[in-house]
Amino acid sequence: MEVDFSVYGPAFLNTFQYWYVILPAVILGYVVGAIPGFSAANTIIVLLPATLAMGPEIGMIFMVALYASSRMGAGIPAILVNIPGTAGAAATPLDGYPMSQQGKGPQALAISFTSSCIGGLLTSIVVLFVIQYVVMAVYVLHSVEMIVVMLFGISLIGTIAAKEKLKGLIAGFFGLMIGAIGADHVYATPRGTFGFLELYDKIPLIPALVGLFAISEAFILIERGSIMTKEGQQVMRDAKWSEVFEGVRTTFKRIWHVLWTSIIGLVIGVVPGAGAAIAAFVAYQQSQTYSKTPELYGTGHIEGLIAPESANNGVTAGTLVPLLVIGIPGGATAAIMLVVLTYHGVTVGPDLFIDKPNFAYGAFAAMAVTYIIMIFTIFPLARYMSRVTMVPTMYIIPLIISFTLVGSFVPRAYLFDMYLAIAFGVIGYIARKTGYHVAAILIGVILGPLLEQYFVRALKISQGDIMVIFSSNLGNALWVGLLISLLIPIWKEWQKKRSAQKTALEKGEEAERGGTTE
Amino acid sequence: MAELPNTDGPKKKSTGADLIIPVAAIAFTLYYFSTIWNSPWSAQVSAFFVGGVLMVLCAIYFVIFAMQRKNGEADFSLGKVINPVSVIPKRILLFVLTLAYIFVIDWFGFIITTFTFLSLGMLLLSEGKNKKLILSLSATLAIGGYLLFVVAFQRRFPDGPIEKWLKPFWYSTGIWQ
Repeated sequence: MEVDFSVYGPAFLNTFQYWYVILPAVILGYVVGAIPGFSAANTIIVLLPATLAMGPEIGMIFMVALYASSRMGAGIPAILVNIPGTAGAAATPLDGYPMSQQGKGPQALAISFTSSCIGGLLTSIVVLFVIQYVVMAVYVLHSVEMIVVMLFGISLIGTIAAKEKLKGLIAGFFGLMIGAIGADHVYATPRGTFGFLELYDKIPLIPALVGLFAISEAFILIERGSIMTKEGQQVMRDAKWSEVFEGVRTTFKRIWHVLWTSIIGLVIGVVPGAGAAIAAFVAYQQSQTYSKTPELYGTGHIEGLIAPESANNGVTAGTLVPLLVIGIPGGATAAIMLVVLTYHGVTVGPDLFIDKPNFAYGAFAAMAVTYIIMIFTIFPLARYMSRVTMVPTMYIIPLIISFTLVGSFVPRAYLFDMYLAIAFGVIGYIARKTGYHVAAILIGVILGPLLEQYFVRALKISQGDIMVIFSSNLGNALWVGLLISLLIPIWKEWQKKRSAQKTALEKGEEAERGGTTE
Repeated sequence: MAELPNTDGPKKKSTGADLIIPVAAIAFTLYYFSTIWNSPWSAQVSAFFVGGVLMVLCAIYFVIFAMQRKNGEADFSLGKVINPVSVIPKRILLFVLTLAYIFVIDWFGFIITTFTFLSLGMLLLSEGKNKKLILSLSATLAIGGYLLFVVAFQRRFPDGPIEKWLKPFWYSTGIWQ
């Protein structure tokens, strides 16, 4: 396969034609990103009936635009009232909120929006030019290697995204087990179906994602009566245009900082499960490490706001890489995108870049175009859009439940699928409340049938010899990598515990000595 | 209202609530194994591999939990899932309302059922305040949802008396072919 740069022009031009899809998606993305608990993932689920009706190309452009803009919107409540709109904006309040408290709210918003747009645009363009080489590398992966890649993906999601690694792994493998429900490919033997005919054709993905994400989230949102305080609203009412201009100018003065922190986001975004939250904190920490004024971080420092915002927007392009190249979604929104693409019959993988280059490259082009369009919205947004954060949860919760449940009915027109969504909602609710990662469960459900497919294919080639999974050099290298990735966090945790115990012991001895002296 | 013991305190690390997912995972895995016990190898291989790993992971978790329990760092309370206690009645009622929504939507269709569900759900969560706003908002959302998803995007939503009555109209206007 040769690198063909001629695909970029048509991909870009083609995407610009869909400005009428991108613009409403961008505005919607700002709104949902700014409302904590109403993420891009949930919005795509609420709008599933529309997304499924759009066709794969427009649907993808819509989802990408919504995803990118919601990432930017999440910074609004993080800066104004110290509540991140999504987990990806968790590092934003560290310096954004102190700025807001110092009366620099509009300036902080302008800095956040400008670094988000530039960071996101730059990384989408980088990916667009690098992705062909990634695709070529993926062609060396066969069924044996793909088994390890899938297990690698689920383990990374489990261990990196979840707070407790063991719980993350349990969630991922539980998802893989649920994904194995249905009749087997060769003899059509029903497996784990609880006698329901509706489950013979495996677990339908849309009810699973509706339940795990939307329904469970709605039942948790009940705990929060209202999202925003009055103090944040007041900051926005007092805003002046000059403050917004000042914020944009300040960011452009630190363009180099925006560039390298967004690249950190891109690299972390490619790792399945790592996500925007990790990227934002890593970028913040790196920015502080290499800063000439590290002591100012946490007090309303401009670079402390630029770093997480550039990085979490750099993640958006990175997340699409494993999704489109090997079919492993890097996070919740990517998993939902995969469900929608699967519904449309789009097979993700390296062949997508050859068979449908306009679609594959178009996804990244759409992201770049979205960020270009978003640049023009910075000024009005910094002044007016943040008012959407005032929507009370009592109106949002019933809306999420009813529209997503009906969305789960749409693909097959079975009432059973709505009950199934409720069942997944219960699993999702318990998982969220007890620290098991719901995205890991969903990605497991998605990868379950694929893993089985590769297993059966590999065993057929080897005539039933299970040792085939250790027969390839690349596969073995991946197995070692998988083992190391699982053992390193355990070793680090053990070391941390040991040093904490040692410190406690030393303190105890010192106190004892002090007591004896007295 | 008194809250159940919170599990996020500094000493109590794990609780009974944390065991729900691993116990459910093991129960489901064993059930799954029972359905493939006499199946050909192609139907078994992946499940035995994944299920085996899952059971090992859950066993490790149980051992860690038992050790924490021995050191007084874990208990069997379900507080994590239930807390805060003050919203339990709302949560239960909304869950019942959600089940009822699915149960009746096949007879009454999207518009009537969604309007009723949204109104009752919002009234429940707002504790009966803003009745006029809630009713008008519910009506707008139910009708708006129908116009957007069913009329414009022609998606299959459950049909009720209103939808059946409106169907000939959409065909007569040429919006539906």
